[in-house]
Amino acid sequence: MSEQKERIILDVAYQPQVRTSRDTRSLMLNVIIALTPAIAVSVWQFGLTPLVVLASSVCSAVFFEWAYRRLMKKSTTIDDLSAVITGLLLAMTLPPTAPWWLPIIGTFFAIVVVKQLYGGLGKNFLNPAMAGRAFLLASYATIMGNYSIPRGLTGAVDGITMATPLNYLYGSDPMPAYFTLKNLFLGYMPGAIGELSTLAILIGGVWLIARKVISWRIPVSFIGTVALLTLIFGGGGMGHADFMLYNLLSGGLMLCAFFMATDYATSPVTLNGQLLFGFGCGVITVLIRYFGGYAEGVSYAVLIMNLCTWAIDKAFHRHQFGVTKEDLDAQKAAAKAAKEAAK
Amino acid sequence: MSQTFKGGVHPDYMKAPEIPVTVITPPPQVVIPMIQHIGAPCQPLVKKGDKVTMGQKIGENPAPVSAPVHASVSGTVVAVEPRPHPLGDMILSVVIENDGLDTPCTDMAPLTDEQLRDPEAILDRIREAGVVGMGGAMFPTAFKIRGGLNKVDKLIINGAECEPYLNGDHLTMLNYPEQLLKGIELVRIASGVETAYYGIEENKRDAIDLLNSLHPEQYGIQIVPEQVKYPQGAEKMQVFAVTGRRVKPGGLPSGVGANVISTRTCYAVYQACCEGRPVIDRIVSVGGSALAAPVNGLTRVGTPLGYLAEQCGGFVKELRKVVLGGPMMGICATNLDAPTIKGNSGVLYFTEEEDQHVDEPTCIRCGKCITVCPMNLEPVFMYMYYSKGDYENLEKYHVTDCFECGSCAFNCPARMPLTHAFKTAKLMIQAKAMKEKAAAEAAAAKEAKK
Repeated sequence: MSEQKERIILDVAYQPQVRTSRDTRSLMLNVIIALTPAIAVSVWQFGLTPLVVLASSVCSAVFFEWAYRRLMKKSTTIDDLSAVITGLLLAMTLPPTAPWWLPIIGTFFAIVVVKQLYGGLGKNFLNPAMAGRAFLLASYATIMGNYSIPRGLTGAVDGITMATPLNYLYGSDPMPAYFTLKNLFLGYMPGAIGELSTLAILIGGVWLIARKVISWRIPVSFIGTVALLTLIFGGGGMGHADFMLYNLLSGGLMLCAFFMATDYATSPVTLNGQLLFGFGCGVITVLIRYFGGYAEGVSYAVLIMNLCTWAIDKAFHRHQFGVTKEDLDAQKAAAKAAKEAAK
Repeated sequence: MSQTFKGGVHPDYMKAPEIPVTVITPPPQVVIPMIQHIGAPCQPLVKKGDKVTMGQKIGENPAPVSAPVHASVSGTVVAVEPRPHPLGDMILSVVIENDGLDTPCTDMAPLTDEQLRDPEAILDRIREAGVVGMGGAMFPTAFKIRGGLNKVDKLIINGAECEPYLNGDHLTMLNYPEQLLKGIELVRIASGVETAYYGIEENKRDAIDLLNSLHPEQYGIQIVPEQVKYPQGAEKMQVFAVTGRRVKPGGLPSGVGANVISTRTCYAVYQACCEGRPVIDRIVSVGGSALAAPVNGLTRVGTPLGYLAEQCGGFVKELRKVVLGGPMMGICATNLDAPTIKGNSGVLYFTEEEDQHVDEPTCIRCGKCITVCPMNLEPVFMYMYYSKGDYENLEKYHVTDCFECGSCAFNCPARMPLTHAFKTAKLMIQAKAMKEKAAAEAAAAKEAKK
């Protein structure tokens, strides 16, 4: 009997011996689910063409992730679904009528240059989808600025493309009558695949927060800052409140606030740091919208704040449980005294 | 409104308090290690061939931080030699061949009514009966209470039992409520305070109601319902939930005038004082997917882990690891011949079903570790510095304040070995500090010689 016992080799695993059932893959899966309402709206407004862009983008993103890791003799990571998300998110920022090859160039930059060259999942410091979009915007400005007319607005203007609400909001022409707030909320507007309907994005965003995939901090402080600043400064030849609402409902603000700015790897992990990050994104967005050369500033706002993430996390390093303000003051005083004594 | 702390996680509780307590038949041989506490190891008082009775003292050490050990069965000592200890290593143990008679030892009489009002008499008895922190820390209880005398104004009894799988405290509340209240009263008298606050998690509602119906105020006890959340039962979290006081970093609860004693310890105090019975058994929650069904077994100290599993129906699936205590903070046993000891609240026989190992864990920087850390630490950065070997920054990020509750690693979607890393880091920092101290002392000695 005892001989038999000795043959049992027991694992000595580190604690804790149990883990939450939620793993990286299931988090990513939740993001994919959260994106489906916005995708559905784009299909409703533009037919099947957005799906071609999405498919090309996802497939190429997964391929580049797989091929790079294989070439570099690293483990395969496509199972974690992060490449699928990068592909989806990049496609969400492209016009619905973008040619099929455009996202391939974008995902190459996003996956290989921005993500994998810096070590892959969790180690990149720029949001891959945002960087991919910025790259395409700089390289193919005309295609990226061509927004065709959604089904809901057929006949509203002549031709096949139209200007976006943001163009009117910060341009000299008055906002056309067909861009009602309700239309923008529901998705009757020209724009990138993922940014059409604020309602659809909100459904996805609230889902992510409810499932605790993301925290409310970044989206709320990002959108809140934009709302506050546009309410204070106004513009667009309309009332301040209307101007604020148009700012919230048009462009990629909602999509970026819920899906791009909350990217784990490139946003702060400290809780107050997340609030500051969202605030910074909001301020830069408003500055670009008011003064920038582009009508839309959210992607650059997010990229710029990505670069500040590390510094923000350092600055908001918090004190451990049990430390009081008096303790900190005493520590500071002691350090000061020691410095003076050294002099 | 039930009380709690900030942070924490909600593991799958897997509790089975509805399963009645089974008496585990004492094994043919018990192995009683001479270390079943934190502090000085006991010296054996018996030798091979001696006859012992159940409850007879068989090992002790006069050092203040120590607790004697007692025979958990009657019979003959067949060996006094190093044997596998559940926490690893070989430890000097007394092996007793069980004669199956359970002849009781009469050395320890119940305390008289007068003695039951005398703190000194109670404390002496707690020490003599080998009572240690039976929540798992195994710190000698008499020393803990003495250390808090005149400093502690809030005595907290820990009834959170926040670890999954464990039911011992809950069942003690349900099965021996009056004895438990009496035990808490004795601890309260020994601590010299007016009120004992009994923090119990809300998932033990039946126990809270039962205890409240027995007029705890007559014993000087106030029951404090607490939110169900891990690690509610951690000392610092208990103190905060009940009193709102925050234990200082690196400090003990007594530093803020609080002392935390576990439920099962209070029951052991009752048994020691009112029944004259030392710590020789306890309810051990036995579970895990290697067994057909969980068992709440009244188990003698010194029951080998393999024998315990057989008594609980044997293995139905291939065993992968044996966890002592709860799955969050429990550590793995390496040998099925090792015995249960006083601090074992649970023994879990796990198969690969419970295994969540991944080969190449990759941090995705989601920060979910930060939101759950009850100590307000930032595990994501601590781990980063750990993997770089940057101990200076590890200390700056307060790794030494981590009490290894495992919440961060539990909640990590990437399955990073966070708690394990911090445990290692703490040991390294400790070793470094000791080395520096030794070097400084050597330098001072050299200076003195000159």
